[in-house]
Amino acid sequence: MIKIPAPLLREIYDHTEASYPNECCGLLIGTIDKDKNHTVHTFRKCKNLNQERARDRYDMDPLDMLRAEREFENSPWDIIGIYHSHPDHPSRASQTDTDRAWPDYSYVIVSVQKGVVASAQSWVLNDTEKRFYEEPLLTEGESK
Amino acid sequence: MSTVTVKIPTPLRPITAGQTEVKIEGNTVGEILRKLDSQYKGFGERVLDDGKSVKRFINVFINEDNIRDKKDLDTEVKNGDTLSILPSIAGGN
Repeated sequence: MIKIPAPLLREIYDHTEASYPNECCGLLIGTIDKDKNHTVHTFRKCKNLNQERARDRYDMDPLDMLRAEREFENSPWDIIGIYHSHPDHPSRASQTDTDRAWPDYSYVIVSVQKGVVASAQSWVLNDTEKRFYEEPLLTEGESK
Repeated sequence: MSTVTVKIPTPLRPITAGQTEVKIEGNTVGEILRKLDSQYKGFGERVLDDGKSVKRFINVFINEDNIRDKKDLDTEVKNGDTLSILPSIAGGN
């Protein structure tokens, strides 16, 4: 399960809509409890280094990730997941997403249709099966 | 020998018994990572290609520098350096 406060999710949506028709990406910062429930407290926008296929691919700038790691190293918060957009595609995890996924991170995918957010889903990798499973995305106590 | 702080990312923490950072002694990045492998079973498998290079989808930084821009595993470390292991994040529809 991943919990994202509604105002933060709206800011993430704003990022995905402003980046349309290109894909955007960012880091979810927060905490993971003993049951592996993720709670997002803030996020950081990251650069998509993929210029050639920015409409359907993203490559997160590793320097953005390094900066986030350093920024939160002495805090109780940590990098707990990734968000990215799927312009004019569903918010389902693709094979490309699966191939490059890491366990224990939440992967929030936002579908942006004609410039407007249409849906969002969160996915976690089963590392043994190399397959994504959807996890409940909760915002202000409601599943989405 | 220099003592280096190695930052462990969330996906590799099950291997390091949940530790977020580990202090290791060594002279080069390769030495540090191989020591981590001998200390934590399965670490090398996730980070190294046959112990000779860093896996393609992993980035290793020594302080602010990507070791691919330096001497890769032969990059020398100094006392007090921070070594960050970061998963390479990518995907798309």
